[in-house]
Amino acid sequence: MTTAQLDKMRLELRRGVLVLAALASLKQPHYGYSLRKQLQDGGIDIDEGTLYPLIRRLAEQGLLDSEWQQGEGRERRYYQISELGTELLSQLSDEWQQLNGALSKLLGTNTKETK
Amino acid sequence: MNLVERYIAAVQRELPEAKREEIGRELNANIMDQLDALTEQQGELDDARIVAVLKKMGHPRTVAQQFVPPQPLISLGYMSLYKHTLFMVFGILFLLQVAGTTVEWLSSSQMGLFLYLKGLASGFLEDAMFAFSAITLGFWFMSSQQPKQQDGCEQQWQPEQLPDAGPGWQHISLQDVFTELATYLFLLVIIWYPLWLSPEQLASSRLVFNDSFYEFLRWASPLAVFGIVFSLLQLRHRFWNRTMLGANIALNSLFVMVIFMLAANGPYLQENIEQWRGVFQPGQLERSVLITLVIIAMFPLWEVGRDIIRLGKLRK
Repeated sequence: MTTAQLDKMRLELRRGVLVLAALASLKQPHYGYSLRKQLQDGGIDIDEGTLYPLIRRLAEQGLLDSEWQQGEGRERRYYQISELGTELLSQLSDEWQQLNGALSKLLGTNTKETK
Repeated sequence: MNLVERYIAAVQRELPEAKREEIGRELNANIMDQLDALTEQQGELDDARIVAVLKKMGHPRTVAQQFVPPQPLISLGYMSLYKHTLFMVFGILFLLQVAGTTVEWLSSSQMGLFLYLKGLASGFLEDAMFAFSAITLGFWFMSSQQPKQQDGCEQQWQPEQLPDAGPGWQHISLQDVFTELATYLFLLVIIWYPLWLSPEQLASSRLVFNDSFYEFLRWASPLAVFGIVFSLLQLRHRFWNRTMLGANIALNSLFVMVIFMLAANGPYLQENIEQWRGVFQPGQLERSVLITLVIIAMFPLWEVGRDIIRLGKLRK
């Protein structure tokens, strides 16, 4: 498999999970750069070109509330999960737990079979 | 900071008017936060470092497309209907063009085969381009208004109503149906040419069939009408089953019979054809018509053979 193919598949795999990660991180208010930093510190490295448009889209869908605030001599747009977003996050978390459990079993079985 | 302003202005130029200000404002805040963080780590930033940050952000057009992804002219939900509509309209325009150009060809003594084909191609292209633009604009408008809802046909389908899987040849392509329709229409226009032409046009007409030959040809016109009806039926049920194959074998067999009977009943052309006098001998012309008729008969004959083999395969 070429690096380009691997990158493409990795991107597809991460795409859905990033929504979950962003919603979970925004239980506390964050502006774009601080959210990216928090995700990075948590082990999820996501580039600006993906994260900033993603949070804007989530806000447009009503899953995030946003507000412009002045801080450290500069205005920043702060995002926080909305009521609708919280409901969705709960459902997505359950889905993720189920998928993760099922996948762990599958990946574990495959590892045994290949041995 | 001039570089950042220029970068944001370049991104804004790629965005829709309504979103320019807000996205620019947010992008500016994000870049400034990033530069501040870098300044904390590395001290005062020079232009080279700012350039590196902006390069990492991506080309302004790419960034703009990430914020507002480009929308296709026609939404994916409409794409299949759009293509089907285009094909059907092109097919109908082709049929109309065949009829119109054939009448023009029959009524003109100046128009040779090359001019006929050129007229057919250019007339069809002109109409097709107009139709393409109109249909594309219509579907673009529909796509911009609302995404396609599932229509009744898509909601109420039943797996039991799907045709048999069968081999690939059982599916009748639109191209085949319209080719057949054009052929039968061409034939009808030729057979009934006095109906389309004025007396002056008839006088200068290029068709010089012998009266008995022409009379026989007219008796064959119900076959062409049946061919048109059969092709229209194929548009509705685009799948070869035994009945359809049987009907196609019967139709093509009748065509072969009629063509061979025409070939066997010469002379085919009027005597004393002024325009060919001195160019061809009457005998040469008669022989040419005979050979042409035999070649024409080969096409339906080939279809008869092909369909008998297919029918055999279906019976197995």
